[in-house]
Amino acid sequence: MDITFHNVTHVYHPKTPFERTALDRINLRIRSGSFTSIIGHTGSGKSTLVQHINGLLRPTSGLITAGDLKIQAQKKKQDLKPLRRKIGLVFQYPEHQLFEETVIKDVCFGPMNFGVPSAEATKRAEECLSLVGLPSQFWHQSPFDLSGGQMRRVAIAGVLAVNPEVVILDEPTAGLDPSGRKEILNLFKKLHQEMNLTIIMVTHNMGDAATLSDEVVVMDSGRLVMSGTPEQIFSRDRELRKIGLDVPETMLFLDSLTDKFDQPRMTPVFSLKGTADRIAGLMNGGAADV
Amino acid sequence: MEKIIEVSDISYNYSDDHPKVLKHVSLTINKGEWVSIIGHNGSGKSTLAKCLNGLIIPQEGSVHVGGFDTRDPEHIWEIRRLVGMVFQNPDNQFVGSTVMDDVAFGMENHGIPREEMVRRLHEVLRLVRMDAFADREPYRLSGGQKQRVAIAGIVALQPLIIILDEATSMLDPEGRREIIQTVRSLNKKLGLTVLSITHDLEEAVHADRILVMNQGQVVKKGTPHEIFKTPELLEKIGLDLPFAVKMNGLLRARGIAVTGTALTEEELVNELWTLHSTM
Repeated sequence: MDITFHNVTHVYHPKTPFERTALDRINLRIRSGSFTSIIGHTGSGKSTLVQHINGLLRPTSGLITAGDLKIQAQKKKQDLKPLRRKIGLVFQYPEHQLFEETVIKDVCFGPMNFGVPSAEATKRAEECLSLVGLPSQFWHQSPFDLSGGQMRRVAIAGVLAVNPEVVILDEPTAGLDPSGRKEILNLFKKLHQEMNLTIIMVTHNMGDAATLSDEVVVMDSGRLVMSGTPEQIFSRDRELRKIGLDVPETMLFLDSLTDKFDQPRMTPVFSLKGTADRIAGLMNGGAADV
Repeated sequence: MEKIIEVSDISYNYSDDHPKVLKHVSLTINKGEWVSIIGHNGSGKSTLAKCLNGLIIPQEGSVHVGGFDTRDPEHIWEIRRLVGMVFQNPDNQFVGSTVMDDVAFGMENHGIPREEMVRRLHEVLRLVRMDAFADREPYRLSGGQKQRVAIAGIVALQPLIIILDEATSMLDPEGRREIIQTVRSLNKKLGLTVLSITHDLEEAVHADRILVMNQGQVVKKGTPHEIFKTPELLEKIGLDLPFAVKMNGLLRARGIAVTGTALTEEELVNELWTLHSTM
């Protein structure tokens, strides 16, 4: 399902001394089945933006559509259940929200909350736990006896068990060690490719944004300042630096290399192998772009 | 060289039915050194750190800090002053309502006279470049700023050693750079001994010495160059290699004769430039 933002503004604590415009007239379209990364400095409005998509926050003005569902500024509470069933949100440090006695009960909680019968919920929970790669020996243990990376996978399984069409990830790898990071990112790559899930990821890691996404959205001080393919976004390095962001390490390296060789800057490249090929080209022929 | 910490053959498990998280670990840390301990989650790094300030007393072996034995309850508070720790989550270690109050808290606890306290307060905030924020509320700071305030609070107690336990892992890249710079300047200017527990190898390459932990044991010790000479071991135990080290391998596979000694991007750029000039 496509998600669109039409002129969305969000003001925190309106009409108080703490009033702050966190989102300023955002227009955005996220295509069904795409992998979109949202980057921006701390406090730029990334988390506020994604929390509008499943109705956790409501716009002060403007309209958000998700498929045929609408979220808009209004006083009357609307029923957000259909929206939340289709759009799952994995918070930062989602393992902090685990609470049940066993792993499997925790994963069942979401679907049962949406009225799925117990037997069906258990079946889904088992499927999702296998999908996130948690061995069955842990399913009947307390989630609190697991390692940090395992707990995070349980929390993610809990979101997937509701069968969402869209999954929002708010810094999914923060605090994990490198092997844990790799596992989680590979999982979302797989879910995106094999199950055609629409994924929206908030991240600080430019490398992840560049290598995983179809589309990158850049936020600064509550405004959407750029959107486009990773190649389009990361070729605008000067503008990115002005708002406290950077380019992926592959490009940083090639930039310092071409500067040293007094050669023109290269076009964006994000993979290590691609970077090595470019360096080899530079060393052998001197031609910067291959 | 003056030994600040001496760990002799320690072993530890959290309870009898759990496997040992530390198995016969020995190491020494000398005054003024910057040592990194690297290893994946669950390798025993953080347990080791807790042994160094007496939060955990190992079942076997001994730990000496500044000559004091951590098994001796009489010196435990002195040991905790000598070993300052900065933890992973900056939000879990704030007690004061302003930056200044927070830094003063530790000193008050240790009964430092007021005049001395005020003097040190300003000095340490300057050292971590947070003097302009003295009256701010901690929750309004960025992650990197919060961690610098935490470091200031510890430096104010004039410890022998500061231990960073994954202190950069919850920060954004900029916050991470701020902390590494701050720690490096404290290490160089004050001669403060630093022990950094991390899985960020880009950070570890800046240390004087690296200890690699896996399954409760120190499996390798050496300078960064010695450690990264055999990157296969680090990869095997699930650590992510620094960018320059990964590039070394890929470049050799493409027939470029790099030596493999470059650990930072700057070193690799310089090596490639030299190589190119002689080709």
